[in-house]
Amino acid sequence: MYVWEFAALKPYWGLIWQGLLVTVFYTVTTVVAGLVIGLTVGILRTTAPRWVTMPLRLYIEVFRCTPLLVQLVWVYYALPVLIGVDMTPAMACFIALSLYAGSFYAEIFRGGIEAVDVGQWEAGRAIGMRRGKIFRRIVLPQATQVMIPSFINQTIMQLKNTSLVSVVAVGDLLYQGSVITASSYRPLEVYTTIAVLYFVVLFPLTLIADQVELRMGAHR
Amino acid sequence: MNANGATLVASNIHKAFGDHEVLKGVSLSVARGEVVTLIGASGSGKSTFLRCLNLLEMPQQGELAIGTHKFTFGKGMRAANDAKLALLRRSVGMVFQHFNLFPHMSVLSNITEGPVQVKGMAQSEANELGRDLLAKVGLADKADTYPSRLSGGQKQRVAIARALAMKPDVMLFDEPTSALDPELVGEVLSVIRGLAAEGMTMVLVTHEMAFAADVSTRVGFMNAGVMAEIGTPEETIRQPRSERLKAFLSRFHEAS
Repeated sequence: MYVWEFAALKPYWGLIWQGLLVTVFYTVTTVVAGLVIGLTVGILRTTAPRWVTMPLRLYIEVFRCTPLLVQLVWVYYALPVLIGVDMTPAMACFIALSLYAGSFYAEIFRGGIEAVDVGQWEAGRAIGMRRGKIFRRIVLPQATQVMIPSFINQTIMQLKNTSLVSVVAVGDLLYQGSVITASSYRPLEVYTTIAVLYFVVLFPLTLIADQVELRMGAHR
Repeated sequence: MNANGATLVASNIHKAFGDHEVLKGVSLSVARGEVVTLIGASGSGKSTFLRCLNLLEMPQQGELAIGTHKFTFGKGMRAANDAKLALLRRSVGMVFQHFNLFPHMSVLSNITEGPVQVKGMAQSEANELGRDLLAKVGLADKADTYPSRLSGGQKQRVAIARALAMKPDVMLFDEPTSALDPELVGEVLSVIRGLAAEGMTMVLVTHEMAFAADVSTRVGFMNAGVMAEIGTPEETIRQPRSERLKAFLSRFHEAS
């Protein structure tokens, strides 16, 4: 019978805390960057001419259909060689995670925008509104509503996906876990603790998401 | 207003979707205060023609003049830009078959959206205007309700109020009662009748023959992309000349 010994982690709480901060930091920054990329690409894909949308489609599919782990490694090791710049692990992680998130968010935005009935555009035009204003005031608020569940889902995935930054030795929660495991020989306690921490951060997010969804859908 | 006193003049409007020629040179001139109803079988082009009057559909050939807004369509003509189209549409109200209310806004906000966002009216002034219009269409108590809570007839009356809020020179109605349950048609028609009595210039596409006969100054019968007959309700509906129109009207009499 295995004897759980969580007390063995006591000397490592500082490291775990540090790892958690790094994880949250990467999640927040890459979600924000991913949203900017996603919104821009998503809007362009619904409105721009074909010569713009085709390369964007290529970007989206490349990042959606290849493993994030490979993207991270590629941005860290291959990109510096190709474009001749120095790449810190932190920068590589930020770029890869943002582009990855952006590709998924772009599709969520596009889907949300296209789900809005064309009659809404027409109603806006019929009262003399111009395209940009119709988009901002009529279409986007309705699209946002449709997007919220997928958006939250993707953001939760993003936080968990940041665990991959440990492969290029960025000190996130999972990376610290492997470091602690190596010195404490307590992998079960370490990884269980880490799983609980991920859960504690993410679960409230899903509750907030439920509330937002409820509030925004109040008129339905 | 144009030299001949008409508020709206559409001349020789052509529109094709791909190879399918929907409008083959349709002309219509509407004087101030006139109510012109367009009837015809589905696919005759009447809704497309109506949508050409506020340029939700862009004609490929022809001319359109509403008030001071003038457009010429054809090969080599520059396409009208978004700003110019928006200016035209300020003075042309439109009511859609499927209402197209903004579901994320209250009834009052639906009505004030145009005046505030397009004309730059102060919100308080727009609210007052909105409440007046709601009272006019008999929905004074629904200002803070969301569209999803309304019946079809109520939605359509809100849509009419929303269009009126822009104080248009012309109102277009695209089959305004076709999506309604039969018992709700009357309330919408009576609002439209009220507008006609006030002298609002209107172009309607409808299948309500009795209403058309009653409220219109002229009735046009469209068939296969042309204005086959147009005249007073008496002429068009009671004394149809062409066999096509006779056949169309008799199908209606059988149905009702």
